Amino acid sequence: MNGTTGPILRAKGVIKRFGKFAAVQGVDLSVAPNTIHSVIGPNGAGKTTLFHTLTGTLAASAGTIEFDGIDVTRLADHQRVRKGIARSFQVTSLFPTLSVRENLRLAAQGTHRMRLSDSWLPPTGSRSCEEVVSGILERLDLVRTAEIPAGTLSHGQQRRLEVGMALAARPKAIFLDEPTSGMGVDDIDAMKSLIHGLRRDHTVVLIEHNMGIVMDISDTVTVMQLGQVLVEGPPEMIRNDERVRAAYLGNMITGGAA
Amino acid sequence: MHTLKENYQLVLAFATVLAMPLFMQSGLLAAEVLIFAMAVLGCNLLLGFTGLLSFGQGIFFGMGSYALGIMLVKLNMPLILVLPLTILVGVVSAVFVGWFSIRQRSVYFVLLTLAFAQMFYFLAYTMTDLTGGDNGLLGVPRPPLSVFGIELLPLESSWQFYSFVATCFLLVFWFLQRITTSVFGRTLLAIRDNEIRAGAVGYDVRGFKLAVFAISGGVTALAGGLLAMMAGIAPLSSIEYHTSEMILVMTIIGGTSNLFASLLGAGFYVLSADWLSSIWPRWLLLLGVLLMLISLYMQQGLWGVLEKLWHAVHRRRRREPAISATESEQQS
Amino acid sequence: MTLAVHNVHSYYGKSHILQGISLEVPEGSVVTLLGRNGAGKSTTLKTIAGAIQSRQGSIQFRGRNIAGLPAHRVAGMGICLVPEDRGIFKLLTVEENLLLGLRKESPWQLEDVYRLFPRLKERRRNGGSQLSGGEQQMLSIGRALLNHPRLLMLDEPVEGLAPVIVEEIVAQIKKIREAGISILLVEQNLEVCTQLADHHFILEQGQIVYSSSNDEFRMDTAIKDRYLGVNV
Repeated sequence: MNGTTGPILRAKGVIKRFGKFAAVQGVDLSVAPNTIHSVIGPNGAGKTTLFHTLTGTLAASAGTIEFDGIDVTRLADHQRVRKGIARSFQVTSLFPTLSVRENLRLAAQGTHRMRLSDSWLPPTGSRSCEEVVSGILERLDLVRTAEIPAGTLSHGQQRRLEVGMALAARPKAIFLDEPTSGMGVDDIDAMKSLIHGLRRDHTVVLIEHNMGIVMDISDTVTVMQLGQVLVEGPPEMIRNDERVRAAYLGNMITGGAA
Repeated sequence: MHTLKENYQLVLAFATVLAMPLFMQSGLLAAEVLIFAMAVLGCNLLLGFTGLLSFGQGIFFGMGSYALGIMLVKLNMPLILVLPLTILVGVVSAVFVGWFSIRQRSVYFVLLTLAFAQMFYFLAYTMTDLTGGDNGLLGVPRPPLSVFGIELLPLESSWQFYSFVATCFLLVFWFLQRITTSVFGRTLLAIRDNEIRAGAVGYDVRGFKLAVFAISGGVTALAGGLLAMMAGIAPLSSIEYHTSEMILVMTIIGGTSNLFASLLGAGFYVLSADWLSSIWPRWLLLLGVLLMLISLYMQQGLWGVLEKLWHAVHRRRRREPAISATESEQQS
Repeated sequence: MTLAVHNVHSYYGKSHILQGISLEVPEGSVVTLLGRNGAGKSTTLKTIAGAIQSRQGSIQFRGRNIAGLPAHRVAGMGICLVPEDRGIFKLLTVEENLLLGLRKESPWQLEDVYRLFPRLKERRRNGGSQLSGGEQQMLSIGRALLNHPRLLMLDEPVEGLAPVIVEEIVAQIKKIREAGISILLVEQNLEVCTQLADHHFILEQGQIVYSSSNDEFRMDTAIKDRYLGVNV
């Protein structure tokens, strides 16, 4: 990471235990601002668990997480949103009975502190977050579906709205968990350009199994295995790295471990 | 900036409140409908709007009953002071119960509210000096509502009392309508739909649940206090498990999709109980059947049934000629 | 042909996981299904087993189309799935777990399973939760055998197991295969796959992208890197 600005996210020694089992066993991660940073790895690598600790969905058992100069380790997920961290989920997680527009408004509203007047006044005027919501509807090509319940959207539309919910918080860093999961080819291409375009205004941390996307649009790739970081570097380097190859192909009878 | 369409619920409530004296003979029975409607509103705020199933509403109802009774009978406080304090008692009890229950996930939350209900019942049963134990707190008066000695509204006669209860009810209804349509209220809906997502976009879910619990407690306590005034007694049954159950049943029967449905549910239950129990002592059997039907076929409750009828009538009207193609397109 | 899957589409809710897959398991052979995470391997097995209903395409089992049948009917016809999480009933003992799967007409009876997996015999009275990973895997396979399978489907049977245990289980799978049971194996461990299988299919993003015999597969490193590694 060269340049005058340091990493926007710096995780050191992150450990997450579930009982005796350590899903993440001491991970260091540095993410440079305005880059697309992918996290990949074979089965059981701990990628999603690491994600959860970085976004605050789960509390880390040990280690520190520094975001934009602030120590966010002890902050809950709803508190990290205000510091500029937003995420999408691998299994679509929206507000299904509410309209698409309302979903986005709620996500945009979430970064503001709730004031007393909010318990009295409806979401009109400045509380409608109109500008942010319209902007995202346009960008995600969801304008036509703005007023229908989010639960009735097609899968591809729902996955786009997932990303939209994260964007609505106008975050500094967006964490996307398998954004293209279960999508058809056309939707995947659209999502790929969408993510690539996010780089300009945000930092993107990505978990993906679609290697085409990972290798094409990432600036940095971190490979995890069995709860630890195996290798990290630009896509071209990772592609041909022997250790990565061994981790994925498991060349000895050891159930995947190198 | 509120149009008639947005306020139609309040209008319906207002109309119902005005209509009841015309159709009913007993002012106290009419008051009872509105009193329980308030309790159901408190329960619906939790269940329909936030997705919280509370088996502890009886706690706040009973606490309100006792608080008002104690303040009027033993402390001789003026009514104008007693009412807001009764609400406060409800709020404080709800915050206490909520603080522990809300930490837990759905099933355990429900069980905890049930556990607290039993605990409060036991306390009420044993603290006989305060509550009268099994006998209840007797001699709860219905003093006139007065400010600085000036009598505003006597509550002696049943219809005078009804108009007072009706005013309280409409104020509560209006208050809850403002809250549920506000930014805060819309966030409750989000929490109901997907709690995890709500947290992930920045809402302190526990804080919201505690706040709505407090509001619910206050409203329910007010209802309990008014019942004590109506009956002249703050009975032990107000804080019994059965009351919690009854309030929940009324909520589900009426429907959880909006506020007016709560009035429907309370009205149906109270009036059926009054009318049927004199005819058929096993009337609760009918209620059981109704609950089954609602669970299986009419999950939107009585409100849902009325809504469907309304749409069916409207559709028949529209089958008449001279509708344009565009008009019928807009229908769906 | 024990199993012939043709153009099957399968969904988790709206997520289109299997986008038209076709594969075959000839009688008495071992066929593997390979692919990276998220490719849809477990979904394929669950769809064949009837745990997930396919929405399009056909699944021919011994000449009969079983697509759309509920899971218990599919199991009754002789397709047994050993799932990734092994599905051991923790409150029951080893023997009770096994007996749950027992069918009178199965050529595999309790003693046969104990002969194949002596460790299970030693532990027959232990609770399901007191077993090591390898023993749980053996129990799961044993229970499936007692259910008289004509097609045995294994979802990552050696994942997370120590090398010694892996070798043991591979040897036992070979014996099962010798007894004439057709096997469809999902496995990420290449060494295990090339030791056992006659034929390989590779799944990517819900579609079959490669199909070949074991000999061809062993020699083709480019394919392995492309679809199983990261060198796309």
